Amino acid sequence: MTEWLSVLFALLVFPGFGFLLACALAFQWIDRRVEARLQGRVGPPWFQPLADLIKLLAKEDVLPVGANEIACAALPMVSLAAVLTAALYIPVGGWVARTFEGDLIVVLFLLSIPALAYFLAGWLSVSVYSVVGGSRSLLQFFSYEVPFLMALSGPAILSGSWSISRIAAQQSQAVWLALVQPLGFLLALVGLIGKLKRSPFDIPKAKSEIVAGPLTEFSGRKLALWHLTMHIQMVVGIFLLVNLFLGGSDVGVTIPGVLIFGIKALFILLMLSVASALYARLRIDQLANIGWRVLAPLALAQMLATIWIGGG
Amino acid sequence: MLERIVRWARRKSPWILHFNSGGCNGCDIEILDLLTPRYDVERLGILKEASPRHADVLLCTGPVTRQSRDRLRRIYEQIPAPKWVVAVGSCSCSGGVFRDGYNVLGGIDQVLPVDVYVPGCPCRPEALIDGLARLLEMI
Ligand code: SF4
Repeated sequence: MTEWLSVLFALLVFPGFGFLLACALAFQWIDRRVEARLQGRVGPPWFQPLADLIKLLAKEDVLPVGANEIACAALPMVSLAAVLTAALYIPVGGWVARTFEGDLIVVLFLLSIPALAYFLAGWLSVSVYSVVGGSRSLLQFFSYEVPFLMALSGPAILSGSWSISRIAAQQSQAVWLALVQPLGFLLALVGLIGKLKRSPFDIPKAKSEIVAGPLTEFSGRKLALWHLTMHIQMVVGIFLLVNLFLGGSDVGVTIPGVLIFGIKALFILLMLSVASALYARLRIDQLANIGWRVLAPLALAQMLATIWIGGG
Repeated sequence: MLERIVRWARRKSPWILHFNSGGCNGCDIEILDLLTPRYDVERLGILKEASPRHADVLLCTGPVTRQSRDRLRRIYEQIPAPKWVVAVGSCSCSGGVFRDGYNVLGGIDQVLPVDVYVPGCPCRPEALIDGLARLLEMI
């Protein structure tokens, strides 16, 4: 009985849905606010993401004639579920719901489900803009995913384990891996921006070119779920990087682990916001070029060096 | 209770869609002013959306011409309910300087139900913010 209760607690409250929802709304607000301040604006009040979410949930839900209704309803739910599941394997403040050897690979797979669902959503909602956006998102997926995976395999090879919590725990005894592999950390950050489709890599949903990309025809509840998926994906991605490169929540230090973890997560969030305020959107061919000519070789070199020096 | 929360959320997050049905572009530039650091309407929760499916408020500029009438109606129908219409500028309130043109039907209210009129040629951004604030009070 108590075991069931603890499982339910993990799924619904911490580190499950409730905690992630709160984090997603807070991160979203900080992100928008920082970007506005960098542009000399005031920015939205703190309850803005919550108001947006409730409003979208309460709005009418329409789909164009010819769109596949079942698929369009299922896709945002599937991707939200995948992202929430991924969050269960990621330690937060030294606490993790589930862990086993190899959960890093599972998390990476779960995190790439939304990208595929995003493409399918564009393809199935019969609009020129969403089809163009969908094909762009697939091309972008192929450009960032390979360097991202290779960059994330660096810490795993160095610590000789594919379990996120073990990688994080090893760093608290030694030095942060971001200092050992600064290049890998940078590549992982760039890959994360691509994964989250944030500016400067918001090519699939480029507002001034193709309206809203694959989500053009989505409204109301489905749109709310899509937005929620994106925001929670951002939280999960940031937590993942904190664990892999910044040492998670350094166990054994006097300051509580959750606090340290939060500060590190905010640091990465700040870097993402500054990047999106600083750079203009690339074209899709430029991104593919950078992804395959610059990022992938760098990531490969980093990986080989890691195996040669550290993994032995 | 639930209704009050929803009403609060609607009032705090109106996303706008902007459509020019035949004006001179003056009012459109004033609308874009709203997004600049000086007027920054994101502090009121207002975002400019590109897809009618995501929008709540339709900002219309310019008079309705015979050409644009059907497009205007179609865009209005694509916005999911609940939705509101704001007529921006003298043209869209009454037809303005184009009033007696052979191809002009008149103001936006000839085609759509308008909630708030913001006059001026072009209307000042302050007037526009005032109009939007009045609309939010109505919600
Ligand atoms: S009201 Fe004046 S500025 Fe605005 S569209 Fe009409 S003519 Fe142009």
